[in-house]
Amino acid sequence: MTGALIVLATVLVQVMVVNRMSLPGGVTPDLVVLAVIGVAMARGPAAGAVIGFCAGLLADVMPPTAHLLGQYAFVLAVVGYLAGQGLGGSVVTTVMAGVILAPLLAAGLGGLISDPRVTVATLTDQVPLTIAYTLLLSPVVMWLSGRTTRPGYAT
Amino acid sequence: MRDSRRARLTLGILLTAALVILTVDHRLGAASPFGPLRAAGTWIFGAVERTAGSVTRPFGEFLRAVANAPAAHDEIERLELENARLRTSLIAKELDTGRSEQLKRMLGLAGRGGYKVVTANVIARRGSPGFEEAIQIDAGTADGVRPEMTVLNGDGLIGRVISATADTATAVLISDRGSATGARLEGGQEIGVVHGVGENGRLLRFKLLDASAPLAPGGRIVSFGSQYGRPYVPGVPIGVIERVEATPGELTRVAFARPYADLTALDVVGVVVRAPARDPRDAVLPPKPDPRKQLTEAARPPKRGVVAPRRDARDAALRPTRGRRGGTAPPVQPPVQPSAQPPVQPSRQPSAPAPEGEPESESRTPGATSGREDDGQEPVGAGVAPGRDSTRAVRRPDAEQQSVRPAARPAARPSVRPSARPRDGGVTSPPAGAVAPGEAGRAQPRPAARGGAAARPPVRDSGETVRPAAHGGRASRGEGGR
Repeated sequence: MTGALIVLATVLVQVMVVNRMSLPGGVTPDLVVLAVIGVAMARGPAAGAVIGFCAGLLADVMPPTAHLLGQYAFVLAVVGYLAGQGLGGSVVTTVMAGVILAPLLAAGLGGLISDPRVTVATLTDQVPLTIAYTLLLSPVVMWLSGRTTRPGYAT
Repeated sequence: MRDSRRARLTLGILLTAALVILTVDHRLGAASPFGPLRAAGTWIFGAVERTAGSVTRPFGEFLRAVANAPAAHDEIERLELENARLRTSLIAKELDTGRSEQLKRMLGLAGRGGYKVVTANVIARRGSPGFEEAIQIDAGTADGVRPEMTVLNGDGLIGRVISATADTATAVLISDRGSATGARLEGGQEIGVVHGVGENGRLLRFKLLDASAPLAPGGRIVSFGSQYGRPYVPGVPIGVIERVEATPGELTRVAFARPYADLTALDVVGVVVRAPARDPRDAVLPPKPDPRKQLTEAARPPKRGVVAPRRDARDAALRPTRGRRGGTAPPVQPPVQPSAQPPVQPSRQPSAPAPEGEPESESRTPGATSGREDDGQEPVGAGVAPGRDSTRAVRRPDAEQQSVRPAARPAARPSVRPSARPRDGGVTSPPAGAVAPGEAGRAQPRPAARGGAAARPPVRDSGETVRPAAHGGRASRGEGGR
């Protein structure tokens, strides 16, 4: 429940605040991915997959939307599952792997459904920048999950 | 493991669901069954976003303002500067627009009258009640402005130059209490004097020399002109009579007139550096306002007629010069002369006596007559001249030329005037003394002119160069009298 609220709040913040900031490069960090990763690490792969799916669906439905429904839900479900599995073994690697994986997955999926917005330029310019920005914020998640994860990691 | 298997199952289901959703959405496009879901999401989250946005926006803006404070400060300063600059240029543009309109009107007036005008802007003004009403203009001797030149604008007469430096000149307005301007009532040959009454030029006092002449509100006044066009060129609209004073038993009648030119709001003015070679009056007055035109036309004939006889003699002298000069004005003059002159002459003579009687006319008449003379001369032609010509033995040489002149005059006169005047003066001067009596009898203006003529002789001898001095002398007299 807490995780769901966290993700919901994150999605809102992402859309209302973060996406409105104008950062160099024209891209913004992806807080939703970080939240999903954090919650998934605390709740395990199944819950992580569900949380990710729901968060992705929410993000797909959120007003400023122009992409296909289910695109982000797919990506975040995968990321949530992998993060719940403890990808890479440690918190740091899990978060970093998730953060790097998410945009690549999204781009790959977009490419699969021949989304005209997914181009080589997207892969070379936007995706790396997005990953970089998100990684800059990832220590917060690492620190939070470091404190809260231990008890919940087992499940 | 059970955990992981369950997790995998969950993941598989979820991914399948996502892919199904994706596919359906992708395939069906706008007809997607998830449209309502999307709409609901848009509705709910849109509301939430709006609310949250309205709450967080102030903070965001505050943070942004704090972050941008230094830059914003510079930006504000820059914008303020830019604002001031734009405002200034806007005002300047408005001023320029108004100024160009005034210039256009004035040039039109000058063109009609055949005046050669130097334009200037009013750069200072004296107007304390009870004191002189004078303006400073930004044209001076370097521009050809000399003392005792007429100052006008697109509406009418403004005043005369009393002193000039290289770059600036001072002009006394016709509203100055010490100013007296020869004036003619439209529609007739009645002449009078316009005095300033102060009040910042809202009213002028017009003293009609003939107490029996009809004088009614609405009557228009134009300048009578001075000898050689100094200080006043003829034909410049002065004002409209607003009310007539009852002066029973007096020799003159007094009326108050509202000047055409707004003497309280002067900007672009023109200094007539060369009076019209011909009859500027006809051309100038009519053109301005239609009503005026009619009036002026009516008035002109008498003037011309009156002037013509005297002028004829003068004309003879002038004409040669004019022809030489080859003026541009011709178009206007030809029409005027024929029509105006004949009717005028008869009437002029009767009217003339009255003007002479008045002392005030003296100052005016010299200038006024000169202007008229020029006009008259041209139109009158040789026919009138004979009597006068005879008086002026000297002129004759010119007079002989007169026969030729008629053709030449029209074109030449406008531009020629300056030179023509001197010549006229020269020509007339000898005869002037003899002529004056007769002329005086005919019409006042002329008498004055004669007076001018008397002055002229010396001028003539000296030649054009001398004239200025002679004019100055006259002018000074006129001023002193005024």
